[in-house]
Amino acid sequence: MGKAVVSVKKLTKQYKNLKAIDNLSFDVFQGEILGLLGPNGSGKSTTINCILSLLNFSKGSIQIFGKEMDPSAYDLKREIGVVFQDVAVFDELTVFENIDYFCGLYISDKQTRRKYVEDAIHLVGLEEFQKFYPKQLSGGLLRRLNIACGVAHKPKLIILDEPTVAVDPQSRNNILDGIRFLRDQGSTVIYTTHYMEEVEILCDRVIILDRGKVIASGTIDELKKLAKLEEKVTVEVYDLDLKYIEEIKSFRNALEVSYHNGVLLVTYKKGKDNLVEIMEYLKKNKICYHKIFSERPTLNDVFLELTGKELRD
Amino acid sequence: MIVFRTFLKILKSCKAPIILYTVLLVFFAGFNMESNDSTSNFTAEKPDLLIVNHDESFGFTQHLIDYLEENTNVVTTLDNEDQINDALFYRNLNYVIYIPEHFREDFLNHKNPQIQVKSTGDYMGSLTEMMLSQYLRLADIYNTIFEDEDEMLEHLSKSLSNKTKVEVTSKLDTNQLSRIATYYNFLNYCILAGCVYVVCLILFSFKKDTIRKRTIVSSMNYKSYNRQLLFSNSLFVFVLWLFYVLLSFLLFGTSMVTLHGMFYILNSLVFSICALAIAFLIGNLIYNREVINGIVNVIALGSSFLCGAFVPIDFLPDFVLKIAHVLPSYWYIQTNESVKLIEEFDFLHLKPVYFNWLMLLIFFLLIIMITNVISNRMRKKEN
Repeated sequence: MGKAVVSVKKLTKQYKNLKAIDNLSFDVFQGEILGLLGPNGSGKSTTINCILSLLNFSKGSIQIFGKEMDPSAYDLKREIGVVFQDVAVFDELTVFENIDYFCGLYISDKQTRRKYVEDAIHLVGLEEFQKFYPKQLSGGLLRRLNIACGVAHKPKLIILDEPTVAVDPQSRNNILDGIRFLRDQGSTVIYTTHYMEEVEILCDRVIILDRGKVIASGTIDELKKLAKLEEKVTVEVYDLDLKYIEEIKSFRNALEVSYHNGVLLVTYKKGKDNLVEIMEYLKKNKICYHKIFSERPTLNDVFLELTGKELRD
Repeated sequence: MIVFRTFLKILKSCKAPIILYTVLLVFFAGFNMESNDSTSNFTAEKPDLLIVNHDESFGFTQHLIDYLEENTNVVTTLDNEDQINDALFYRNLNYVIYIPEHFREDFLNHKNPQIQVKSTGDYMGSLTEMMLSQYLRLADIYNTIFEDEDEMLEHLSKSLSNKTKVEVTSKLDTNQLSRIATYYNFLNYCILAGCVYVVCLILFSFKKDTIRKRTIVSSMNYKSYNRQLLFSNSLFVFVLWLFYVLLSFLLFGTSMVTLHGMFYILNSLVFSICALAIAFLIGNLIYNREVINGIVNVIALGSSFLCGAFVPIDFLPDFVLKIAHVLPSYWYIQTNESVKLIEEFDFLHLKPVYFNWLMLLIFFLLIIMITNVISNRMRKKEN
């Protein structure tokens, strides 16, 4: 691990009777993409707002690049790029003008800024839409513009707060590619989302938040190891007798067996040849099935196991 | 100056309403060019009078009729009461005098005979009433002093022949000053509507929650950002004011290069500053772009109507004027009306103007204070 770029220590944010963040501590290291994962209301955006000094916090400390963060730390802010959940652009300005304006809040030299704006447009693939007004852009293109506005000044730390909400797959891929590119260029990224697929393909390390607390953190593999389940086997089979389900439950590695609407789901703890075992059982009992497949557990499964609820609840 | 440059780009999208307000102003001012203010000269007017005489005698009665014929237009063609009433209703006649039987005899014998009258009740009717009262009052006095009717009538005639010479000494070009005052009164609407519409629209864009958050997290000092925004809006209001002032030079020429013109211009500048404060207050309160048009109509049109920007103040009912006191536009328009009548630019004559400016200044400070309180509360609420 590199140097800590962001260091959050014992952060607490209280709204009257509600603790939005409860004694939260974590570090973000140089050059990594850290995923802040959690359901709605888990405290992701509040944490981000505290890091950015948009919100006062009750207790704790936040250091960025080794310096205490506060609303007037303009030298630190120069190195931070933020992409908020809601699109923040001027309807009256074109794509180019919008990026130029937000880049201009950081970079005063006109020529440098022009180069940076062009780079940002290229990064998000909006070359053909430079003279378009936001109202003329689709939802996906608007999100890309939102990202370009946040990262045009080439910051060392980039904070993205659910940047892919309601985005089409093509734009989502473009956005994720762009984020990886920024990381490869040396930027450190904090990425909040409740889309676990994005986290799995993008993040080097993940912190799972729930009710303002860290409930787990580590790499994707480390998190998956936290879960008892190792493998999930799904079988599409009609009219399965209850006695077969009971027999499957007694399999050596089986953790849980459920059968709903013609889908048999068997979860296994660590062990070998689980798929072969169930296929042989079905064959032996002449049970006709349509489809059978095996999956590794997802982060959602980990989350479900740790919190007892789905990530998108 | 990135904020200023972006301000100008957004301002471009507000061209249409500014042009519309200007066209309205030029149209209104041009329309007003044709109007006349006749306060620079004096002509005595004669009311239309009908005398219904039931007294057959001459002497005092005839003297009264002669006096009225001399000072009014005596109508003779009306025969019956219906015709008389119609003529009064349609203002073809202002006053009717019914001289009763034995009027002369009763008057000379101090029996105080009553003259019946009918009047339209308007200015001309009142004028006739005054003439008649004056005549009878004097006649009554002379009748007490002199026993002889001829002697009494001779003195009465002498007294009534004393005319007051009216000479208008003012050198003011009141026609032109009235036109300028009307233009600057209408400017109340243009400046208020222009300021509120543009400033609110631009503030709405810059202070949109998402954009404001992005600005706060940027490396631009937020105070400097706010200063740039304040400077940009102030510059816009100044340019708008300057444009309308130049337009007044174009319309009224050298009349504007006078002390009167200077005071009209200064007054509009003071009001523009107040309008900027109003625009900032509203800009801080609105959260929906769609309501801006409605607010412009309520604020600009409402205060223009209430305070006499479109119709002369004299035509407004008292209760409306009382309400108007709480609006800056009232004090601005009052100043225009005062400047129109100023003959000498000394402290005494300018006192009402200074007082009105003081009121505008108080409004300005009050609005700024309210804006600050609201901004602070909103900031605290966010945290």
